[in-house]
Amino acid sequence: MVIEKMLNSRLAQWLDERSDIVKLTRAHLTDYPTPKNLNYMWSFGSLAMLVLTIQILSGIFLAMYYKPSAMMTSGGYSVAFDSVERIMRDVNFGWLIRYMHAVGASAFFIVVYMHIGRGIYYGSYKGPRELLWIIGVVILLIMQGTAFFGYLLPWGQMSFWGATVITNLFGALPVIGSFLQELLRGGFAVGDPTLNRFFSLHYLFPLLLAAIVGGHVHALHVVHSNNPTGVDVHEGKGTIPFHPYYTVKDAFGVGVFLILYCYVVFFHPQLGGYFIEVDNYVAADNLQTPSHIAPVWYLTPWYTILRSFENKLLGVIAMGASLAVLFLLPFLDRSKVRSARYRPVFRQMVILFFISVLVLGYCGHSVPTPTLKLIGQLATIYYFAFFFMLPFVHKFEKTRPLPEEI
Amino acid sequence: MAEDQVDSRRRNFLWGVASGLGAVGVAGVAVPFVGSMMPAADTMAVSTTEFNLDTLVPGQLVVIAWQGKPVFVVHRTEPMLSRLKEYEYKLKDPESLADPRVQADWMKTTEQRMTRSIKPEHLVLIANCTHLGCIPLFKPSPGRAEWGSSVPEDWPGGWHCPCHGSLYDLAGRVIDGSPAPFNLYTVPYKYLSDTKILIG
Amino acid sequence: MKLKQMMAVSFMLGGLFAALPGHASEGHGVALKHADIDVTDQAQIRRGLTVFTELCMGCHSAKYVTYRDLIDYPETSLSREDVDDLRGDKPLIAGMVTDLAPEDAKVSYGKVPPDLSLIVSARRGGADYVYSILTGFEHDPAGHVPDGNFNEYFPGNRIAMPDPLSWLGHDAADTADLEQQALDVSAFLAYISDPHQNERRAIGRYVVGFLILLTLVFYLLKKEIWKDIKH
Ligand code: HEM
Ligand code: FES
Repeated sequence: MVIEKMLNSRLAQWLDERSDIVKLTRAHLTDYPTPKNLNYMWSFGSLAMLVLTIQILSGIFLAMYYKPSAMMTSGGYSVAFDSVERIMRDVNFGWLIRYMHAVGASAFFIVVYMHIGRGIYYGSYKGPRELLWIIGVVILLIMQGTAFFGYLLPWGQMSFWGATVITNLFGALPVIGSFLQELLRGGFAVGDPTLNRFFSLHYLFPLLLAAIVGGHVHALHVVHSNNPTGVDVHEGKGTIPFHPYYTVKDAFGVGVFLILYCYVVFFHPQLGGYFIEVDNYVAADNLQTPSHIAPVWYLTPWYTILRSFENKLLGVIAMGASLAVLFLLPFLDRSKVRSARYRPVFRQMVILFFISVLVLGYCGHSVPTPTLKLIGQLATIYYFAFFFMLPFVHKFEKTRPLPEEI
Repeated sequence: MAEDQVDSRRRNFLWGVASGLGAVGVAGVAVPFVGSMMPAADTMAVSTTEFNLDTLVPGQLVVIAWQGKPVFVVHRTEPMLSRLKEYEYKLKDPESLADPRVQADWMKTTEQRMTRSIKPEHLVLIANCTHLGCIPLFKPSPGRAEWGSSVPEDWPGGWHCPCHGSLYDLAGRVIDGSPAPFNLYTVPYKYLSDTKILIG
Repeated sequence: MKLKQMMAVSFMLGGLFAALPGHASEGHGVALKHADIDVTDQAQIRRGLTVFTELCMGCHSAKYVTYRDLIDYPETSLSREDVDDLRGDKPLIAGMVTDLAPEDAKVSYGKVPPDLSLIVSARRGGADYVYSILTGFEHDPAGHVPDGNFNEYFPGNRIAMPDPLSWLGHDAADTADLEQQALDVSAFLAYISDPHQNERRAIGRYVVGFLILLTLVFYLLKKEIWKDIKH
């Protein structure tokens, strides 16, 4: 085995004596004991790392040509918009790198949402993995921030109005609202100072993210992976070394992901307006709002929760709560059994929860109509009800017998 | 474990193919990223510069930009040209042979190698000192009268680099004893008309 | 196993939403006419360029496309002479910008005509929308909007652009010709909105093909290695 040879090489030994590198590689990568029954839902973790790498790499190269300036140029465009078009037209392979980045943002959320859904379904958030889960929620929030900052950069109509709407949300908060709003905007409206600071933060956040992902993986390796049965695995009996079993399994997952990702990048980079919105090809105009404005698909579930309330402040609070409640998940669920496979009631609840999130997302993307609004409100109610019911489910739920061994 | 059932040839073969294809993939990814750092199409498009020689009075030097680099254009007078010969013995490379960058396609005669121009009166050269790239100061008149001790007593007129003291004559040829290794580099250019040149 | 199926279904549902053409790219009521264009067809793109420079550029620009691009892009690859004719005394590296000053346009039409470099990406319906607008000038059935300003496909029906192809009231004999011009210019605009699109699709075929091969090998390897493990 090549890897075994590399780890035993003299260079590796020399490095190991000075840095523990071989010991660490063995402990965390090659020999790392992993449950032998993980299904493909466990591939999304390594995929998330892959997409983060794609985003950082493509972002660094975009930043070599991108110019964060709202200064006007001819035809109603701006320096920032022009620089993105220059990337698309004149920079060698610029079109590829930009599409990789724009499609990568959506791919990142697909992968991470699947990863989170896996965690909820199989009870991976439950003890002893509470901290691991909490770090994960922090990652989600930072990702959403990163995407929000990044979406302003092309300085199109959706960039501008999206940022206007979201900074106004912060403005709705009592006491600190207007302070926060001006802090984000650096002016009385979204403008050149906003664009500059968003670029700076858009560069910073992914690097933070990379560091926090390090913490996430570290926490994982302390408490070890959960598995589809949710029962504790004893080293030796139920585990196999990560390499080669999961390296090849993840490699296959990566292959499937890359086929889908590259298919979109090369053949449908805007994905019919879902990944890059039609209105973002129109230059930002602070005097005219596009006829239909909605956030990019990955933020729409939260946007629906916001819109479900007549009162602006309530909406903002509900939206914040819908994310914050994720932190509490490990403490709300009191059941001794982890995996939904053995929890008939919980299983129905979770499936309905996933459906409600999809419905919320759909509503948030569509032009609001009274029916859709009602559906959105129902989905919002269920979203919160799921969390409210959790502490009580274990009292009446008859769990199915757990296997002794995996 | 069922070691006996393992077909290790098939297994090794698959490992080999997978690693090989994986390596090809990684190399393929490098192509667009490295490629994107090369000059973009619009940068390449402005890689030529036109210059109107009418705007120069005899004896004058201008520094213009070509591909973002400074270029000297000098209108040399008769006396300037006549002084080129006298100091030849002090030059490192009077016939501009030392390096491809000091030569040009049109340098067919020894005369052209020494005056370093298509038409003797118009000199066009890269303005960066061949030492470490500063732009030398134009000191055309001979002797120290105008320039003091910054130039040698028998100064033929030419350029003096303020950074580390390299000296060049009025054909951009480096004078012996300078830290600069080569004559000033040539620039590709051609005459569009008697009074117009296209650089690049 | 149940979960896997469920995930697969939700994935497919998501894909279905995305694939529904009417959804994200929702128009404004009237169904657009389909523009049957080919952005790889050099002849069509060149004809479209001519329509663009002779008619549209009276008012509109395409500032992101330079005269030099018309030589360099394989989809146009004009000769230097043709481009010199088109550009007059404008520099080769200048974008295709109309001579109509924005202030004058405002006086004449009440609005500055938008730059068309990205129009196909920037409108729901894309090339279909452009084609429909160009061939959508009609008499206002309600009689409110003056002739030349009523367009069936324009949101709100009142358009500031005066019928550029003289579609309204044209001779029946000219219909095919005018439709062709509208198609050609739609093809040109679809092409310039993303000038590397043909190259992108060409490269994409190799990339996806390679990845399918790679994934197949990974799959076989995974199968092979996992033989060790008893489930
Ligand atoms: C967590 C990882 C990241 C996410 C989710 C993300 C997301 C986004 C999004 C949604 C856009 C707007 C895309 C568009 O419509 O064009 C964008 C643009 C941009 N991002 Fe990122 N990004 C990430 C990392 C980075 C990094 C590390 C950099 C490095 C500096 C970067 C640099 C840029 C630049 C320069 C743009 C503007 C160019 C453009 O609009 O295409 N990004 N990003
Ligand atoms: S740079 Fe001119 S002498 Fe050193």
